[in-house]
Amino acid sequence: MSDDWTIVVCVKQVPDAAEVSIDPDTGTLNRADADAVMNAPDYNAVEAALEVRDAVGGTVTALTMGPASAHEVLRAAVGMGADDAVLLTDRAFGGSDTWPTSLALARAAEELDADVVFGGEETTDSSTGQVPPGIAAHNDWAQLTYVEELEPRPEEDQLVAKRDVEGGYERVAAELPVVVAMEFGENEPRTAGLHRKIYAETDFEPVEWSAADIGVEDEVGLAVSPTQVGGMATAEPVPREQELVDDVENLADRIAEVS
Amino acid sequence: MSTDAQSGEDAGVEPEPEESEGPPMPQSTSETPSYDGEFDAIVVGAGLAGSAAALTMAEEGLDVIMLERGNSPGTKNVFGGIMFTPRIRELTDFEDAPKQRFVAQKTFSMLSEEGDATEVSMQPAAWKEEPHNDSWMVLRGDFDEWFAEQAVDAGATLITETTVTDLVREKGAIAGVETDRPDGRLHAPTVVLAEGANSLVSEGAGLAESQQRTDVAVSAKEVRKYDRETIEDRFHLTDEEGAAMHYFGDGAVGDAVGGGFIYTNKRTLSIGVVYSIEDAVHDERSPDEVLDDFKSHPAVAPLVTGGRMIEYSAHAIPEGGPDAMPDLVHDGAVITGDAAGLVLNNGLHLEGTNMAVESGYQAGKAVADAVASGRTDAAALSAYEEAMNDSWVIDNLNHYGWFLDAAAEDKEFLFDDLPRAIADAETDYFRMNDEPKTRHTKSARKRLVGAMGGYLGAAKKAWKYRKLFS
Ligand SMILES: Cc1cc2nc3c(=O)[nH]c(=O)nc-3n(C[C@H](O)[C@H](O)[C@H](O)COP(=O)(O)OP(=O)(O)OC[C@H]3O[C@@H](n4cnc5c(N)ncnc54)[C@H](O)[C@@H]3O)c2cc1C
Repeated sequence: MSDDWTIVVCVKQVPDAAEVSIDPDTGTLNRADADAVMNAPDYNAVEAALEVRDAVGGTVTALTMGPASAHEVLRAAVGMGADDAVLLTDRAFGGSDTWPTSLALARAAEELDADVVFGGEETTDSSTGQVPPGIAAHNDWAQLTYVEELEPRPEEDQLVAKRDVEGGYERVAAELPVVVAMEFGENEPRTAGLHRKIYAETDFEPVEWSAADIGVEDEVGLAVSPTQVGGMATAEPVPREQELVDDVENLADRIAEVS
Repeated sequence: MSTDAQSGEDAGVEPEPEESEGPPMPQSTSETPSYDGEFDAIVVGAGLAGSAAALTMAEEGLDVIMLERGNSPGTKNVFGGIMFTPRIRELTDFEDAPKQRFVAQKTFSMLSEEGDATEVSMQPAAWKEEPHNDSWMVLRGDFDEWFAEQAVDAGATLITETTVTDLVREKGAIAGVETDRPDGRLHAPTVVLAEGANSLVSEGAGLAESQQRTDVAVSAKEVRKYDRETIEDRFHLTDEEGAAMHYFGDGAVGDAVGGGFIYTNKRTLSIGVVYSIEDAVHDERSPDEVLDDFKSHPAVAPLVTGGRMIEYSAHAIPEGGPDAMPDLVHDGAVITGDAAGLVLNNGLHLEGTNMAVESGYQAGKAVADAVASGRTDAAALSAYEEAMNDSWVIDNLNHYGWFLDAAAEDKEFLFDDLPRAIADAETDYFRMNDEPKTRHTKSARKRLVGAMGGYLGAAKKAWKYRKLFS
């Protein structure tokens, strides 16, 4: 392994949460009017990837799977400073759930010869949090999830993470190659420089790969997706009672009564 | 095409296959090129004036970049207004523009604080024919986004979420802009300022004076959503017909120079008040309270009741007329639209969209000629100012510019005494009692003439305000 790290950051295009509305009459989500934007936690992933690159040396390649319009999120990542971008785009990917999606991303990361793969903690439109661990599992690589802070150790080919765990944090060192899921809001994503942003949105063109390019044409799509959305329901808010009690003793009594 | 053939083709497309077979690898693009000098013109703001300028210049073959503060042109502003469309119809495939309704009906109402209302309504048959008197109700967020897209389709570059903070000067001439981004300076031979009414860049760079208090109006406006049928029933509209309702008098905006309005969109109403900032300072009520009072006037309330508010905002509108206009042309820069004070806001007219587009278009043409000649100093750009002076824009501003001063002088009369006198006169005129009609007429006339300061006063006032309707 060379000293420079090859870093891949997975980003996803999601409907702008600020514009997704719930139709008050039918109770359904109206995503059609919402612009597509980069999944908010992915900004933290891009920032973390750039920080590691700036510390160690190497390149950051933004990676996404989606329709041609997903160029936009790759351009956003390149605007922030990613060096390259790859779009996995193919009708064959349609209907993929997290299993084939993480497989495709895993194969692409392998193809790119990645040392570190970054992802956001979860996406705002499906919130499974399964994709980064899925990539690690498919490639049999190490994984670091719920990461707050990173310390690269290029001499040892190791990445050390401060992980958020119940009640505190832990520090873990992982051997490369490793998949990192960054926790939302743990760093301050950088603002794209003006000239970089102009470049990303005008002259830059991401490379496009098909399912066959990464050899997964028979392993992706709706047919091989193990999960299916059975249906959607809007939950009626449960009325919550509120009560002020005078002192701790009364509070204890009330809790005992209710439960 | 068989799958085999396709993959064979893919392999053929790859420029330099690596030793092992595989998909094309991305090219490393770590170097950021500099765009200094790559564009002929930078447009500040992708509103109506900015997009008109960018579209015009792009069509003339210039490399143009628009820098817009919002995350999209029109800054997600769903507010509706009347778009006056003579020039924009020539510049674009206007049939495709996101429009709401054409103005089929205009009303002007005098409202008194006591609840009286007198309405004049007009619906000329000609307005129902194409091109509908070039007056369309649009939601500005949608419309501005579409218009900017026309400029992009013509070849302009649009960069959003980027605020211009200052102008860059070289040897006295404007040579680019400074933005709020890192590495945020961009050089270009010309800058088109199209930043709207809050013209901080032009003012900061000393190209325009900050607006006098008396030159600015405040507005509070809201958009409410209703069923389409509710709107069509309430305003007697069918299909794409719309109504533009204007209100004056102390029942509309209190003791201030200004007025209220309601515009009908497809499924929303745009409701607002606009009045002089000087009056706003003296009124104890805040703009949103003025708007609430307007909405609860007995002549207005039934039209706006119910629905759901989806947007509220307050805004400044220049109303200075020709005297408040800055120099339109500078070495390396031109000023367009609201930033140049090109708004007509006199009570009867609230127009800026048409002048924004016209000024953007004229500026775009002048910049294209200047760039082609290789010189972008003020003299080379002066064709813009000349075109504006020859156009209906400056003509209209001059024509109506006096109104605001006159209105401020006669505020009591116009916005207080007159609406009440008219209401009282009507009451007299149409009174149902056993007196003869001639007596009603007489007493009605007496009230009106009294309010105007006798026959001589009435004649003077009629003369003074004649231009408003000519
Ligand atoms: C309540 C109200 C009602 C109106 N009703 C009507 C009507 O019915 N009919 C009519 O014809 N006119 C109406 N007008 C006037 C009309 O809206 C304006 O005249 C018109 O929008 C001016 O266009 P513009 O392109 O000059 O400015 P704007 O439309 O204001 O566009 C300026 C653009 O520049 C951007 N910007 C500003 N500063 C910067 C910066 N520093 N860097 C980057 N971008 C920047 C803004 O985000 C915006 O997108 C109304 C105005 C108001 C406030």
